[in-house]
Amino acid sequence: MTNKMITLTIDGIQVTVPEGTNIVDAAKKAGIDIPVFCYHPKMKPVGMCRMCLVEVGRPVVDRNTGEFVRNEDGSLKIQFNPKLETGCTTLVSEGMVVINTSDKVKRGRKDILEFLLTSHPLDCPICDKGGECPLQNLTMAHGPGTSRFLFDEKKHLLKHYPLGELIYLDQERCIQCGRCIRFQEELVDDPVIGFSQRGRSLQIVTFSEPGFDSIFSGNTTDICPVGALTTADFRFGARPWELNAAASICQQCAVGCNLTLNVRREAAAGGKVVIKRVMPRQNEWVNEIWICDKGRFGYHYTEAPERLTQPLIRKEGELVPVSWEEALGFVAERFRQAGKGLLTLASGRLSNEDLFNLRKLSEGLGGKIALYTQMSGGEQVMQVGLAKESNLAELGQGDAILVIASDLHQEAPIWWLRVKQAAERGATLIVAHPRPTRLEKFAKHVLRYRYGDEAGLLLAMLNSLSAKRPALPERVSTLWRDDQVQAAAKAFAEAQNAVIFFGNEGVGLQASQALAQACLNLLLATNHAGRPNNGLIPVWQRPNDQGAWELGWRPLPNLDEAISQANAIYVVACDPAGDNPTLPLTPDFLVVQDLFLTATAKLAHVVLPALPFTEREGSLVNGERRVQRYYPAVPPRPSARADFTITGQLGKLLGIDLEDRLASKVMLRIAAEVPAFSGITYTALAYAPEQWPIIGREDLYYGGTTYENKQGIGVQLPNALQQGEQVTLTWPSLAQATEINGGLLAVPVTKLYDSGSTLVHSKLLDQRRVAAVLWIHPDEAAAHAVQEGDLVHLQFGEASAMATAILDKTVPQGVILLPRSAGIPLLEPCAAQLKVVERSYER
Amino acid sequence: MNRLQEKYPTEIENTLAKYPPDQKRAAVMPLLYLAQREYGYISKQALQEISEILDVPVTEIGQLVGFYTLYHDQPGGKYRIQVCTDLPCALRGAEEFLEQLCENLGIRVGETTPDGLITIEAVMCLAGCDRAPLFQVQTAEGLTYHENQSVESAMKLIRTWQSIP
Repeated sequence: MTNKMITLTIDGIQVTVPEGTNIVDAAKKAGIDIPVFCYHPKMKPVGMCRMCLVEVGRPVVDRNTGEFVRNEDGSLKIQFNPKLETGCTTLVSEGMVVINTSDKVKRGRKDILEFLLTSHPLDCPICDKGGECPLQNLTMAHGPGTSRFLFDEKKHLLKHYPLGELIYLDQERCIQCGRCIRFQEELVDDPVIGFSQRGRSLQIVTFSEPGFDSIFSGNTTDICPVGALTTADFRFGARPWELNAAASICQQCAVGCNLTLNVRREAAAGGKVVIKRVMPRQNEWVNEIWICDKGRFGYHYTEAPERLTQPLIRKEGELVPVSWEEALGFVAERFRQAGKGLLTLASGRLSNEDLFNLRKLSEGLGGKIALYTQMSGGEQVMQVGLAKESNLAELGQGDAILVIASDLHQEAPIWWLRVKQAAERGATLIVAHPRPTRLEKFAKHVLRYRYGDEAGLLLAMLNSLSAKRPALPERVSTLWRDDQVQAAAKAFAEAQNAVIFFGNEGVGLQASQALAQACLNLLLATNHAGRPNNGLIPVWQRPNDQGAWELGWRPLPNLDEAISQANAIYVVACDPAGDNPTLPLTPDFLVVQDLFLTATAKLAHVVLPALPFTEREGSLVNGERRVQRYYPAVPPRPSARADFTITGQLGKLLGIDLEDRLASKVMLRIAAEVPAFSGITYTALAYAPEQWPIIGREDLYYGGTTYENKQGIGVQLPNALQQGEQVTLTWPSLAQATEINGGLLAVPVTKLYDSGSTLVHSKLLDQRRVAAVLWIHPDEAAAHAVQEGDLVHLQFGEASAMATAILDKTVPQGVILLPRSAGIPLLEPCAAQLKVVERSYER
Repeated sequence: MNRLQEKYPTEIENTLAKYPPDQKRAAVMPLLYLAQREYGYISKQALQEISEILDVPVTEIGQLVGFYTLYHDQPGGKYRIQVCTDLPCALRGAEEFLEQLCENLGIRVGETTPDGLITIEAVMCLAGCDRAPLFQVQTAEGLTYHENQSVESAMKLIRTWQSIP
């Protein structure tokens, strides 16, 4: 990108924009609307719809002198093109004059709309888009009141054509702008929909299996300028003008996409206020204007009928409903008795406010706290995490991104998109993973290592850069001489800005600490920490794992031991017994606070019903260390309470001073106590600057139905370096390779659509959900006498499970991959023994 | 299982050899013809097989089948009679010709005879306006043109096909 600025005149208004801007965007920046259908500010222009036709004049240049010709009065002589030009494909030039309001332009628009409407059904009264439809709005503003075409000759096509089970196409309404096709191809590299036929018969089709096979498919319904594409979730659900909007944050992964929840009070729900749809909310620092389908369709758990509705106490072996007063009184009494013997186990599914109150309660009683997670490294992220004032959208030419041990496409789709885009802008992408992932296509360097060698690989990269080479374990001791490792290390070190994403595929809790430390070392040694657009991004599994670390929560290296020693255990927003059925969870007193009656809750003495994020306020810290707040969208279900409130009320009974009413006031206490949060208030989190492209209700035709952000973009935390602290290199001790003993290394992998408690209630995703399967290399399968489709009994340690075998050449040798949260109790990589139980004979 | 790849390895190899190795997608049209010859039409299975051979997304190949009229995404007869009914042909009696031909065969435009031999289609210009009524016959072997036709001459031609065992 050049920094050269161009000045032009649009409708008499002088506009100065960077070179390379098109006329539509330039006009938008000056507050002038040039209507468009096919153009979208996030995609390359194609000039297909002809709606943006404007009159364009350019200054006449004297061919001899190369200077502008002037009129007698000294003004520039302008030569107008006799024909109208498309504003989206025409780039601005110095001295250009654009006329957007002449009769000629108006007539052009009117004619284009008349053409577009010849095949359009005009079924606005029953159309989901009615009320927020660019075609409707632009027809009202620019179109003819009547049509000269014969109504009877309109094309009649399929009205409910399922592209897949998630997205429906109304073929009659489609105006063939191609936005959806281009989005799928250009932006998310899933070219699974396309045009078929020609001319008036042109239609959107898909041949993928399953139909419209893309995890970003919902976004096409936002940018569709008509009601042609609708989601199965929302279609015929409500009219847009009946909906209220509440700002929220997605809770499905560590990206923290900004959402708007559209809600309505309706008879169908018995007069209750319910969520009708989830829409993206613009945050150019986080998710731009996109969300993945998990975020869009995964909210149904918040409204599931299975949710806990009242406190339960175990009486005579049965959990029976009791009043809050009784439950809290009982719990407080038992916690007081337990005192130092209290263990509070909570997960990053909770908000900052919840986690702060929980820690304070436990500290007040002298008890222990433990973060329930399978991944470590949060401390390193606090030291050299992505620095304050960073934006992944600014990474490009001259910068580098390293992604290690994470399949971003499945674990954090929007980060995958942002990294891909950075690579397309010219950033050097280094992907290190034991098996191929969707990101590799865009990488300059692909590093393939064995599971367990991830930290060693990063240290080898560091070794290849420096003359001083600390010894590494034998397995990785010679890696630094590898050409590919050297080239990648050199590219990383020479980059102006560099970011590392680290995940935990194939990495256990202990090993992930070493991996994070190795990341820190690499960043620090190459001077890529402590300044904007540099630093470490953890690919956590839960939305607020980072917040938990910031607020003092740490995983315990030996959780089993801590559990067996505790007198009372307070389990909040996690299900250790469900994840690991062999966990000895039998303390004297067990309290579970959750949304559902989980496997752990079934063992509990007291169960306390919490509120989901849609019914309360709170804040989260995403992997980029951005603190973001979410707002209540629907009224809380009676008898359930927000986690921080429950904890706060327990505190009151125990004489511990905790805020239990307002999340914002808990945040004030956090800000006063935790240095990184200093100055953060709910008001600061609600700061919403202007963003580009302009999105929103008045500009539906331009950016789509994504919501504008008026409720805050959040605040990024400064890392330790930015706070002036010293961060030093320490050499992590690398874990020994897992003993296999003739079996195979079982590695849990994250798949987007799993059966976790926050997704399983979205029945819409059932067809795409990962089943209890194991992926194995064909050679390895042959060696273990396993065939495709076999039902295999897996034994890892004391735990066992059944899984169906899938032969996959991309799986490394010596390994089986097992999906997380799909019914297989495997949390960390470990040795597994295979035994075929049942063979399916398909033929 | 990739039926095309297994049945026509040399043919596919020869086709691919005509294009640069990094431009395998260029071979998509010949492979579509091959698939049509094998299956009689471009089935979903055929799309999948070509997609695998060329490493091109299946939807991109499906788009082509829709774009070109000589690829069929539905099964039809062994012989596809394609009659031009554009204005100049219509002036020379193409519409009546088509109607009578249909009557003789006992099927409507777009349909296939019960024995699976013949499908009749109305198509756009075949570039022989002065020699209408005319039609082309599409078979697995390719296209043949038949100009200045009458129902009698067309039926005579059809009877020769019917006599082929």
